[in-house]
Amino acid sequence: MKKIGGLILIVLLAGCSSSASVKITSSFPSVLSEPKPINASILIEDSFATYVGTPNKNTQIDIGASQVNLLNSAFSGLFDNVDFVTSLDQVTAETDLIITPSVIEVQLSTPSDNYLNVFEVWIKYNLDIQAKDGALITNWFMPAYGKTPDSFMADKEKAIEQATIIALRDAGAKLMLDFYRIPAINDWLSRQNINQESQSL
Amino acid sequence: MTKTIGKLGGQLGLLIMLLSGCSATTTIDEYRPTDQPIVLSGDEKVVILGRRDAGHYETDREFIECVSDEVTSGGIKVLPEQQFIDAIYPWFEPRTAPKGLPRLKRLMQQNNIKAKIDSLSIRYLVWLDGSTETTGKGGSMSCAIGPGGGGCFGFAQWDKLSVYEATVWDLDELVEKGKLRVDSEGTSYLIGVVAPIPLLTPVKNDACGSLGNQLKLFFSIK
Repeated sequence: MKKIGGLILIVLLAGCSSSASVKITSSFPSVLSEPKPINASILIEDSFATYVGTPNKNTQIDIGASQVNLLNSAFSGLFDNVDFVTSLDQVTAETDLIITPSVIEVQLSTPSDNYLNVFEVWIKYNLDIQAKDGALITNWFMPAYGKTPDSFMADKEKAIEQATIIALRDAGAKLMLDFYRIPAINDWLSRQNINQESQSL
Repeated sequence: MTKTIGKLGGQLGLLIMLLSGCSATTTIDEYRPTDQPIVLSGDEKVVILGRRDAGHYETDREFIECVSDEVTSGGIKVLPEQQFIDAIYPWFEPRTAPKGLPRLKRLMQQNNIKAKIDSLSIRYLVWLDGSTETTGKGGSMSCAIGPGGGGCFGFAQWDKLSVYEATVWDLDELVEKGKLRVDSEGTSYLIGVVAPIPLLTPVKNDACGSLGNQLKLFFSIK
């Protein structure tokens, strides 16, 4: 009887723990864009493809597969030809740009942190952008943000998942909107004599 | 017999008084340059989108769906919000959605965006912006449970205010066709007499119904 009581207590206490483990599996829509005549190689390192964010010791957000899926769609909207490679050896001679994305940090804010009725997620990316000869063009810091509309009666894991999906979609939007506005990319484009008008939204 | 009828009448009166206290007060303001409704022809559709760029609130999807259902009930073809946002990704995300007509004009100059909107047969875009908030609370309620049973005693009340604004854009002529604003407010009560009895005022539903009905009057089908 004591054992059953102990078991019930453990189950109840486990129910009170605030840990969350979320894996993002959703797919993202294709981007609507006019890509530029550029051949780009996107170097997806293993650490990026399997990235699990730990915004605090009790929370894990697995965004590896979904962010690769998102970038697949977003980069296809920026460049005419995109190769996803896993090492520099696979980069072909026709490549104009080599881009290596990485995640700097994932941050989470819950209603108990922000005193708002929402969950918020920030994903901070860095894009290492190199020319085909390996010369660094720029390191572009790309923050993305997502929040839930309302956390009233929401399950914590579902709320974090929802905010993360919105943050990933925001990363796609930020990339499409701002990539060709990066001054170093603009300079590089003018040196390549590539039309700069199609993405001037 | 007369005593029983009198008692019943009293209870009925109290019930009517309580229920009438649960109705929302709704005001609608409308601006449009002409009295004539906008004529939708053939397969032309409307899309109703929520504004989600403000920091402290966002127009909730449930409200958008409610207004869309109201407008659809008038025979107007409405494309679901998420279907439109996905089809045109990423140009109507919170970061990229046009906040004014100049930005919309620039977007529509992009051939692929214009072609996509044309292929979806969307002629009008309705932006909904607003939220429902609790503006005041009062009273207190305490509940207790024991071996012999339990119950709640007390009285609580809260006021809700819904403010939503709808702006209609013509995606062909790239002009604003009109604006609507709905303000709805009401008080809900919770009476604890052993069991808690909620008397809820459907402020948001009222705002949705009023806005949806008024939007239906904006359009007519050829």
